[in-house]
Amino acid sequence: MPNKKIAIFTATGCRACENAILDIHYQVSSLAHCADIIFWPYVAGSQWSDLEKQENIDVCFFAGAIRTAGDREAALKLREKSRMMVACGACAAFGGIPGLSNLNRSGMVGGQPQGTTDNGQQTHEEGKPRGLPPLESRVSALSQIVKADYFVPGCPPPQNFLWAAIQSLVCEGISPARLTFAASRLPEAISQAVSAGILPPKGSIFAGEKAVCATCSRVKEEKRFETYKRSYQDYEASGRCLLEQGLLCQGITTRGGCGGLCTAMGQPCRGCFGKAENIFDPGAKMVSAISSTFDSEDAQEIEAIVDGFVDLLGTFYRYTLPTQCALLSAPSKDLKHE
Amino acid sequence: MSDFEPKIIAFLCNWCAYVAADTAGIARYKQKPNVRVIRVLCSGMVDPSYVLKAFAAGADAVLVGGCHPGDCHYISGNFKAMRRAPLLKKLLTEMGVASGRFRLEWIAASDAPQYAEIINEMCEEVAGLGPLSPSITE
Repeated sequence: MPNKKIAIFTATGCRACENAILDIHYQVSSLAHCADIIFWPYVAGSQWSDLEKQENIDVCFFAGAIRTAGDREAALKLREKSRMMVACGACAAFGGIPGLSNLNRSGMVGGQPQGTTDNGQQTHEEGKPRGLPPLESRVSALSQIVKADYFVPGCPPPQNFLWAAIQSLVCEGISPARLTFAASRLPEAISQAVSAGILPPKGSIFAGEKAVCATCSRVKEEKRFETYKRSYQDYEASGRCLLEQGLLCQGITTRGGCGGLCTAMGQPCRGCFGKAENIFDPGAKMVSAISSTFDSEDAQEIEAIVDGFVDLLGTFYRYTLPTQCALLSAPSKDLKHE
Repeated sequence: MSDFEPKIIAFLCNWCAYVAADTAGIARYKQKPNVRVIRVLCSGMVDPSYVLKAFAAGADAVLVGGCHPGDCHYISGNFKAMRRAPLLKKLLTEMGVASGRFRLEWIAASDAPQYAEIINEMCEEVAGLGPLSPSITE
């Protein structure tokens, strides 16, 4: 089998997803047996001309949100060249942290960065950045611009799922390092495909099926809140459920598979895997979950507890505002309607 | 916007608010026809997702009608609605949905005139606010 050609690119993002790809430990060497990296500006210093030379690419790992015209252009170009497009990381899959700028309705998102003109041409004023591409009117996830075939969520994606995706899409099962540790946490259809060396169904998400709580190691008892704390505030070092301690842990609404890494260390879940299956809207679910823990039957007391909450929108949709908020999201290019 | 007719979705409790709405109709109280009533068994079963889904599907306002606190047919269902409403309202406000567009009201079975009054009042207020426009433009 000829080596697969792969491209790895980050649009608007922090490049931690690309680091995560480097962080698959010794598997990197087995990756070299089955893949040629054609385009990876971050690590290999590739130019767009390297991509132009190729007729096509087998797998493209696309990380980062679409925020500038340059990002959009890159997404379209890579889609055109690639047989399979993988939205890698929370930004590409759901919009991620950059997506929170959609909350700003004063026109900053649609505005122009310094040093550009409306038609994107460079300006040459002293001391200003040059040639920045114009911003889009809103931040989008990859799937809202082009079709994404697979999703690897997480901020950044954990190595096991990333390796599962690489193994099944790039190596197609020929790698000597057989995958067992991630397969156990993947939904059955994907894990079977991964271990059988065939492509998983299009649109598969390389993550768990249930919510984070299902694998979280903390002890859940009766949940009652009197106060609400932010994550930097004190919490008991005991193994009690963080939500019970008054911290806004989003494990209830978030797709699992990470194994509760953050919650085990005392950090409430931030929701980087997006919403779990069968949840209509993560914010609504969180409102339901939190409010049912209020220990009061008095309207004024409840109001007082609610006053303590800040930035619900930015908390509940921290990684998913452009795609998973029922009221504020734009539709994505759905594979099913093709 | 003089010809704007708001769409209001009303989740009414089977045991009181729905009976009040029924009675208000039979008694021929004057009320605006902009309400789509959804009968639910208890105001406590109206998950915040229902409300968000109603707004996402094009409702201009949502009313949740339940029994007065202490009168719940299921003992404590309306307390659940009571706990949810302020937090949901806060989330909706952050999304740019004006607070008048979501209301939780206690309407007893005998409160038919009050029901008609609430509907008319809400209709007027929402008509003033105009259609719910998605805050993010394409």
